[in-house]
Amino acid sequence: MSTTSAIPAVIPGLSSYLNKAPKLSNSVPQPLVSKQSATSEKADVTVPVGRASRDYKIPDEDTKNYSVMLNKKEDLQMVEIPVPKPAKGEVQLQVKATGICGSDVHTWKHGAIGIFEVTDPIILGHESMGIVTELGEGVTDLKVGDRVAIEAGIPCSECDQCLTGHYNLCPDVLFKSTPPHHGVLANYITHPTKWLYKLPDTVSDEEGALLEPLSVAIAACERAGVRFGKSLLICGSGPIGLIVLAVAKAIGVGPIIITDMQDSRLEYARKMGADFVYKVDPTKKDVEVAKEIRSMLGSAPDYSLECTGVESSFRSAIMATRDGGCCCMVGVGKNDQLLPVNSFAMREVDIKGLFRYHHTYPTAISLIAGGRVDIKHLVTHRFDFKDSLQAFEVASDYRTGAIKVQIFN
Amino acid sequence: MTLAQETNVNVVLRKQGEIVLEERPVPTIEPDQVLLNIKVTGICGSDVHYWLHGGIGDFKLKEPMVLGHESAGIVVAVGDKVNHLKVGDRVAVEPGVACRKCEECKTGRYNLCLEMRFAATPPIDGTLCNYYAHAADFCYKIPDNISLEEAACIEPLSVAIHAANRSKIRSGDRVFIFGAGPVGLLCAAMAKASGAGHVSMADISPQRLEFAKSYYTDSQIVLQRPDAGESNIEYSRRTSKAILETEEKADVVIDATGAETCVQMSLMLTKNGGCVVLVGMGSAVQNIPVQEISAREVDIRGIFRYCNTYPRAVKMISTGSIDVKPLITHSYPLKNAVDAFEHVKSGRDGAVKVVILG
Repeated sequence: MSTTSAIPAVIPGLSSYLNKAPKLSNSVPQPLVSKQSATSEKADVTVPVGRASRDYKIPDEDTKNYSVMLNKKEDLQMVEIPVPKPAKGEVQLQVKATGICGSDVHTWKHGAIGIFEVTDPIILGHESMGIVTELGEGVTDLKVGDRVAIEAGIPCSECDQCLTGHYNLCPDVLFKSTPPHHGVLANYITHPTKWLYKLPDTVSDEEGALLEPLSVAIAACERAGVRFGKSLLICGSGPIGLIVLAVAKAIGVGPIIITDMQDSRLEYARKMGADFVYKVDPTKKDVEVAKEIRSMLGSAPDYSLECTGVESSFRSAIMATRDGGCCCMVGVGKNDQLLPVNSFAMREVDIKGLFRYHHTYPTAISLIAGGRVDIKHLVTHRFDFKDSLQAFEVASDYRTGAIKVQIFN
Repeated sequence: MTLAQETNVNVVLRKQGEIVLEERPVPTIEPDQVLLNIKVTGICGSDVHYWLHGGIGDFKLKEPMVLGHESAGIVVAVGDKVNHLKVGDRVAVEPGVACRKCEECKTGRYNLCLEMRFAATPPIDGTLCNYYAHAADFCYKIPDNISLEEAACIEPLSVAIHAANRSKIRSGDRVFIFGAGPVGLLCAAMAKASGAGHVSMADISPQRLEFAKSYYTDSQIVLQRPDAGESNIEYSRRTSKAILETEEKADVVIDATGAETCVQMSLMLTKNGGCVVLVGMGSAVQNIPVQEISAREVDIRGIFRYCNTYPRAVKMISTGSIDVKPLITHSYPLKNAVDAFEHVKSGRDGAVKVVILG
């Protein structure tokens, strides 16, 4: 780790991640690594591609625990935090690999995501896997050294939604990295074992950290009800759209047409097996776009999965979907949107939204371990933990051609 | 074949705003058809809309068209290939004849058939006449304990059955309905028949809600009109918040108005993971609070007419699961059809369903 002469301040009250985030001290955390030096250093990754790492360090009293913390809008810093101790039913993990999500970037740039505002410093990150370093009281299902994937959302498990299998809709869910709850981008975190999944060696570190976006894709396909032998429109060739493409192909869906505004992304989608790629011209009318999509596909798609969140794309997707089909909004967009209601209501096109996922991790692990879905190539940029700030810069700049950026520890 | 009356009076919408009675020949039937003496026809809001506006959405009146599609009658002749009906049978008429061959038809969603011939949707003539030729497989025999007036109500009831199917109402569910017109009321009846635990109904008309009090609803909410200068979405947020002070969120919300505010409120009043069904037809483009759909997984879907409902409707009325008689408030003889339409337009005297008798 590179150091500066300033002694980083330790932020009190961070030992428990389970509760709604305790109030932090008002003092501004001193950056461990100055932003300038972070962006000028060349990224140097210590974990080889495709490896299932087994090395870990059990922290001792001298071990420092660093986190990637959003102090406030556009102020991202590496901050030292206490090494957390696992409570009953939890384990302590060394976080080994973390992917950066569009929502992390959005929270960084805007200081808010949806209705959740960043009012206190918050650790980012929710796409992670790690290695167990200490067991809390009563833990018997995991042991030190186990490789695990982290499901970042912890529901109450007692309410109506939880008990009927829709824990993603639990009103009291604690989702790590959605303000005000700290995320998992730190060297060491604690997490309840109930929301950790052991990884076989056939799932590499990168893939372990990809299980979260893969969960979104699995949930999207479930929500829309896509089935083998049916056609699909995917709007957006970003990481989510591309992973949806991989999942859809794995379950026999086709033909698949995918859209995007960038040629490079469409080329990537074509290489991943999209049957048709459609370049969106933002100056065209939505109904024109819908007609052209149908024309290129040769028919109206049975389902559409909207993975951009952009209003005009949602409108085109609705209008393109065949009568009696389903259009599912996966992306997150504006709160109020002008939608072609008659186009969906009078053609019996069902409109659904998606909020995170539930019961997807075992499926995701199975798809990867069984070789049904190969998405590790989507990790285009890798950074060591010390270069996290640079990783965020790369993730937020589409000119880098980054699809999924991951940070390794 | 001798008919009880040789004249065939048709109620024709000659052009927007002009309804006339016309004598037309008694139709000949194909081998797979029956000839019906139409006895009862209910007037639908869509008939009135065609009369007043000359069209609905993309369907435009280009030439004179016979109105009416909510009918019941008696079989007076059968084609050679018809086996399940005979002369004298009393039947409910399903007005839309599908092609039975396309993918939609074959997968059971014949309401979406692109070759659908639906009575009183231009250019297909409707059923408001004395003698009507119809595909025999779209005519359903009714038992003696169902009157022809009730049988005519099976058409609007089908809309409600289809809405209930699409919304997957389960026993014990809370259902909220916007619109206390005949369709909204039939949706309430279907909700209860499906086992809903609580049915709430909202409308701007206190008189309509007064009727709803005694027809399958448990609570009624009078909606105020938006304040001057208030946008629809502001009204909807304010009003749904007020409604939630006395009502719980619903598992299923049915909008039977088509009004943008009601569509918006429907989403706001649905539980996480619940479903909104749009029955009413409104503006082509509407301002929709998408965050309710995305962040709370509230589904929204519409219906287009119905499919596979008539046999179930016959059973439900026959066994008393649903009582449609209270909805039939006024009747007119065929020769006074124009008065009947004027009555529906005015909505006076607590009109719910006005029927025309042949």
